[in-house]
Amino acid sequence: MSGWDRVRSSTRSQQDRSQNSTQRAPSRTVTLGRVQPQAPSFRTIYCNDREANYAHRFKGNSISTTKYNFFTFLPKGLYEQQFRRVANLYFLMVSILSATPYSPVHPVTNVVPLSLVLLVSLVKEAFEDWKRFQNDMAINNTLVDVLQDQRWESIPWKRLQVGDIVRVKQDGFFPADVLLLASSNPDGVCYIETANLDGETNLKIRKALERTWDYLTPEKACEFKGEMQCEQPNNSLYTFTGNLVMDNQTLPLSPNQILLRGCSLKNTEFIVGAVIFSGHETKVMMNSMNVPSKRSTLERKLDKLILTLFGTLFTMCLIGAIGSGVFIDRKYYFLGLSKSVEDQFNPNNRFLVALLTMLTLLTLYSTIIPISLYVSIEMIKFIQSTQFINKDLNMYHAETDTPALARTSNLNEELGQVEYIFSDKTGTLTRNLMEFFKCSIGGEIYGTGMTEIERGVAERKGIKIQEVQTSTNSIHEKGFNFDDVRLMRGAWRNEHNPDACKEFFRCLAICHTVLPEGDESPEKIKYQAASPDEAALVLAAKNFGFFFYRRTPTMIYVRESHVERMGKIQDVSYEILNVLEFNSTRKRQSVVCRYPDGRLVLYCKGADTVIYERLVGGGDDLKKVTREHLEQFGSAGLRTLCLAYKDLAPDMYESWNEKFIQAKSSLRDREKKLDEVAELIEKDLVLIGATAIEDKLQEGVPNCIETLSRAGIKIWVLTGDKMETAINIAYACNLLNNEMKQFIISSDTDAIRAVEERGDQVEIARFIKEEVKKQLKKCLDEAQQYFNTVSGPKLALIIDGKCLMYALDPSLRIMLLTLSLNCSSVVCCRVSPLQKAQVTSLVKKGARKITLSIGDGANDVSMIQAAHIGVGISGLEGMQAVMASDFAIAQFRFLTDLLLVHGRWSYLRLCKVVTYFFYKNLTFTLTQFWFTFNTGFSGQRFYDDWFQSLYNVIFTALPVIIVGLFDKDVSSSLSKKYPELYKEGIRNMFFKWRVVAIWAFFAVYQSLVFYHFVTVSSSTSQGSSGKMFGLWDVSTMAFTCVVVTVNLRLLMICNSITRWHYISVGGSILAWFLFIFLYSGIMTPYDRQENVFWVIYVLMSTFYFYITLLLVPVAALLGDFLYQGVQRWFFPYDYQIVQEIHKDEADDTGRTDLLEIGSQLTPDEARSFAISQLPREISKHTGFAFDSPGYESFFASQLGIYAPQKAWDVARRASMKSKPKTNKKN
Amino acid sequence: MEMDTNGAGTSSAAAGGGGVSTSTSDSSSAAKRNSKKPKYSRFTQQELPACKPILTPGLVITTFTIIGIIFIPIGLVSLSASEHVVEIVDRYDEGCVPPNYSKNKLAYIQSSLTNKSCTRTLNVPKLMKSPVFIYYQLDNFYQNHRRYVKSRSDKQLRSKAYERDTKSCDPEGFVLDGPIVPCGLIAWSLFNDTYGFSVKSKMLEVNKKNIAWDSDKEHKFGSDVYPKNFQSGGLIGGAKLNSSIPLSEQEDLIVWMRTAALPTFRKLYGRIEEDLQANEQITVVIQNNYNTYSFGGKKKLVLSTTSWIGGKNDFLGIAYITVGGLCLFLAVSFILLYVIKPRPLGDPSYLSWNRSPSGHPN
Repeated sequence: MSGWDRVRSSTRSQQDRSQNSTQRAPSRTVTLGRVQPQAPSFRTIYCNDREANYAHRFKGNSISTTKYNFFTFLPKGLYEQQFRRVANLYFLMVSILSATPYSPVHPVTNVVPLSLVLLVSLVKEAFEDWKRFQNDMAINNTLVDVLQDQRWESIPWKRLQVGDIVRVKQDGFFPADVLLLASSNPDGVCYIETANLDGETNLKIRKALERTWDYLTPEKACEFKGEMQCEQPNNSLYTFTGNLVMDNQTLPLSPNQILLRGCSLKNTEFIVGAVIFSGHETKVMMNSMNVPSKRSTLERKLDKLILTLFGTLFTMCLIGAIGSGVFIDRKYYFLGLSKSVEDQFNPNNRFLVALLTMLTLLTLYSTIIPISLYVSIEMIKFIQSTQFINKDLNMYHAETDTPALARTSNLNEELGQVEYIFSDKTGTLTRNLMEFFKCSIGGEIYGTGMTEIERGVAERKGIKIQEVQTSTNSIHEKGFNFDDVRLMRGAWRNEHNPDACKEFFRCLAICHTVLPEGDESPEKIKYQAASPDEAALVLAAKNFGFFFYRRTPTMIYVRESHVERMGKIQDVSYEILNVLEFNSTRKRQSVVCRYPDGRLVLYCKGADTVIYERLVGGGDDLKKVTREHLEQFGSAGLRTLCLAYKDLAPDMYESWNEKFIQAKSSLRDREKKLDEVAELIEKDLVLIGATAIEDKLQEGVPNCIETLSRAGIKIWVLTGDKMETAINIAYACNLLNNEMKQFIISSDTDAIRAVEERGDQVEIARFIKEEVKKQLKKCLDEAQQYFNTVSGPKLALIIDGKCLMYALDPSLRIMLLTLSLNCSSVVCCRVSPLQKAQVTSLVKKGARKITLSIGDGANDVSMIQAAHIGVGISGLEGMQAVMASDFAIAQFRFLTDLLLVHGRWSYLRLCKVVTYFFYKNLTFTLTQFWFTFNTGFSGQRFYDDWFQSLYNVIFTALPVIIVGLFDKDVSSSLSKKYPELYKEGIRNMFFKWRVVAIWAFFAVYQSLVFYHFVTVSSSTSQGSSGKMFGLWDVSTMAFTCVVVTVNLRLLMICNSITRWHYISVGGSILAWFLFIFLYSGIMTPYDRQENVFWVIYVLMSTFYFYITLLLVPVAALLGDFLYQGVQRWFFPYDYQIVQEIHKDEADDTGRTDLLEIGSQLTPDEARSFAISQLPREISKHTGFAFDSPGYESFFASQLGIYAPQKAWDVARRASMKSKPKTNKKN
Repeated sequence: MEMDTNGAGTSSAAAGGGGVSTSTSDSSSAAKRNSKKPKYSRFTQQELPACKPILTPGLVITTFTIIGIIFIPIGLVSLSASEHVVEIVDRYDEGCVPPNYSKNKLAYIQSSLTNKSCTRTLNVPKLMKSPVFIYYQLDNFYQNHRRYVKSRSDKQLRSKAYERDTKSCDPEGFVLDGPIVPCGLIAWSLFNDTYGFSVKSKMLEVNKKNIAWDSDKEHKFGSDVYPKNFQSGGLIGGAKLNSSIPLSEQEDLIVWMRTAALPTFRKLYGRIEEDLQANEQITVVIQNNYNTYSFGGKKKLVLSTTSWIGGKNDFLGIAYITVGGLCLFLAVSFILLYVIKPRPLGDPSYLSWNRSPSGHPN
């Protein structure tokens, strides 16, 4: 270990220096809220002294995130939630109005539906708040150790007070903002994860003041009596000012000693601290993010429809009002207008008459506004999300036991209209699991596996392949998915080039910066690596029999098998003389080592381009073959590295080493000098071969992407990874292929680098901007060319974060947008979380398309919140993305189900619900409107009050909800089989103004039929008794026709009719008859005009009733039926064709065909097929993507140094951290 | 050294640390016991059995044909029933004004001095079997005006106890002596033309019993409610009521108070319970009291028989025949279209993405 210290201290000094030289501020990639101005005063806290603090009345540590309490629920719930909706406010107004004499209707007409609607919404609101309350209680009752009487006592968080001394254990969350006093680690250091605050998953270091290090045990801690003077509570997460006064000494405090609530303790057994801010005064609570509630596009469009309805309403009222002003006249003496007359009918002031009639009509026609629409939609969506999405077995991931979760029910139908998907890479498309998959040694390919992309290509071509049977004796572990008997168990000795194999394995075992951990046995060892690629390579070496088991700063120990003869195992130690580290400009990594026998070798691995440049002459065949292999690997989506070695002469090495040491100790431009020195020795290399690592995609990703793109959805990959990695994954996911025209806008050009080296920030910015502008323009011109030709290639854009920063500038934004919208896939690499959000909003706002962001990590939070729909990947570590998301699914491939099935259905259903609501209210209200013309525009109601008030909430309420839940145009498997059907949603085919206009047309037609057929046919006596009908007989007749027709019309829009449809439609009609039988059969004791008394019985005693009841609905529906027939015949929608294609098939469950994959194929066949499937044409893409993001900071964090962050560091999910968590979960 | 703590972290995390992580590990162990796998049900998996009607041309044609086949006979039957009804309509508001008042009809009708009786002769076109119903038909009379409709008190009509319940009857609620029974504009404007019929100078009996719906008579108009203060105000609206007969027997009033839906309406006046022979001349002596002249309304006298469908109304029959005929026509035109421009069902080439080049939105 002592050797390590040397390395560590040197690295640390390097780090310190680099930190000093660059003077970088700590990264703040995600800003939460606006930092509020701080109060000028300060607070004094007496640590460990509750009595002294009592006087200050600091806030307790219990928190409440509920919206309401018992008393505020009604007023606040009503005011804030309900009456913000225009429709509800309108109904409230109308209800008040209907209590005045101007109203033609009894207040019940409007009060009943309004109160029913409010009741339902309030119950839902209360239920949600109750859940929040329970959640708060759970947090408040979490236990924490607090120092009491020299002992640690577990008390709930809510009883924690400012000044208390607390102990937090590993992985525990800090219950409040805490001053770090002591840590179980020496040096008073502890590590925290701040993911809950800013989404950064890397560990941060906090260090206690040296004076307080000792207060670790309860006995000692209770002696701690300090007085803290610090700032007032504020929401700035990154600042803290304060002093600790101890023993008359004033010690300044900095953010370095502060542990914020919401963070968790990592890699530290426990810490002891004093509470500074508690409860709602903690920084995280002061920052409490108001997650903006999202509304779906359909709902926003619905608002427009409602506004149109208001417009219609106003017009109708105006017409009626003008009519009333004109009509009113004393000549109608039977109206008793000659005596004192109320204003509304006073012929002397016709203007006032019109004005007041306006009010009257406003209440009369209030039914045109579908008041129960919102609540019905809410109910439908709630059931859709809780019952259908959350319980869909197709979206249940068995391995992680995670079902899908709709966290909001607002956006179901939005899922049916998504046009752009922004996807994170790591953890979303890929598993962040690197597996050694294939290799090429000495011109021979080894490895029989088949990648997802190859499988995808095969499936698209309709060839069925079977999962290659892995031979029973093959080794498979996480990170090693390689199977080839020619190499395993020493079989490589019999290959035609065993020496190359040996060098290959040694290179893998020696040339790396991996740290072994745990027991030194092959089964138990764990490799800690900066990147999972490295770990996979070392793991591969282990499985090939070159087991790297121990490392000291100078030595690497390898247990080699079968080297000298089969079965012999020997431990060999190699002295590591130099490590030439990997960085993004070098794209290679070398190690100079000395064999025990004194042989000096440089092993190098790196990108094919850089390695090939440095190869020794000759061996052109091998180079050519290996390059072909690299291209094969690359097209198959594998990540490749070239391996090479070089024997060094001792004297030549010594002279080089002097230069190296000189460069390493230079103070200025050290990195650059190191690179230059490295160039001197990394030449004349001998090629050994190439490795191919599979960046393991999540299951079914290429297929899913293929399906989604057929559905007209464009997928953009936004990743913090390097360009090579991103392109590689894009290939693997089928987003890019060699037929595509790729536009690459990269900041990694010589010109830009040259300017950057000069170091003038202003100049750099100007130059890059110019450069980006030039490139964009060039690409755009070219793209336009391609776009104009009919069968041009598909376009793809690849852009890196730095260029993106400038391309997002307002002046270039339009160009970027036009270019990227014309591309079928876009890959953005090296982007910061903020840029992810910017790109998302660029498309969302600039192109006005519906966007969906999907990601799994805290770095995706901003993107998830920026998009119309945010989807989080659940079931893995880190819940940040899920907490910010609207939907959480376990696997990327479940997007197919979420969008194509649930989204599409929701969209279709809600379109039907909305248009149907619109239709039924318009129809009903128009009959009333036509009647107005026959009543001297007096605003007399046509229907009884209760008919009108129950029309929306009883007689026509349920069936439409059933449609909103159960309507299915095509089955779920067909939805996925014909992804193109989804385009109907993207084009918004079912909720266009044209659709609304057609509905409106038929509403007008039907209302005319209802009104005129019924009134005209009832103008003579009915039945043989010769008696005449009155107003209420006619209106009851009309209402019956309306209810029957409107309910039957609903059946006509259904694509599938379940028994629930029959029950609800039949039930609604029956409910009307039951109601009218009862209602007209009784006399009520209270004051009611007995208008409809016995009406239904009178009606039903005549033939007229039955004849009309048959005629009117048929005549009314004739138009719709004709329209539907013609539409289907001549202008069929896609879904209708698909229905016809599959009309004779039984409704399959859709689950069976998920299981059915592939048929029989022998492993040999599969292998040859796999190779045959590789692209034949020469592609430029070779798949180099050695990923070592955050390399420096990885080692730095291992060494306890707070390394400056790079923008893309945040994107890293260090493998070291995921391991313990997955262990815990399994 | 840090490596070591990291290792320790792994183990203690697995064991479950304190605080929040305890609860998460609890929940994860709970999850192991009962998996979160959703239970299968046809409802949640949206696989409810359903019938999936597809509006195929065949179905459209069949439906139209069936509607046509059903509707036309119904229409014919209704129409013939309506045709069998014999109806005599005589507009008399113009003719019953003496020529010297023809310029000033209003003065004529409002004057109490003028002779209001008027004789009209009606020709019976066909045999009218008894009962022959007598109606009066008013035009431009807004019985459905909001001010008019609500100007009544159903409580007062129903029971003597609510005699003073006249607040909805404005402006005909009260006179100085007390409440008006029946109150309100409707009752006040009760129609008061009377008709006397004779054939060949033989008086025809007019039965005025049972001209109102029974439910009105029995439940809405009380047998203990007698007219009071009726038409005692300054302005006389219409007929007077015999204050010794309870409202439940004042059938003219009951008929009148079942307000009509439209401004043109008929109301039953009485019945002649004798057959009227074809080509008989009926002499009607009309007491032309009711003022429709001020608002230009027409007054008609209607004599009509009924059939099972009611009075003479061709509308239903014509409507049925029209709808049925239209359906048959549509069925035929659909068949023609089907022949001229067929579309094979479920032809994939009709799918939009097969019609237009892919990749370009159409």
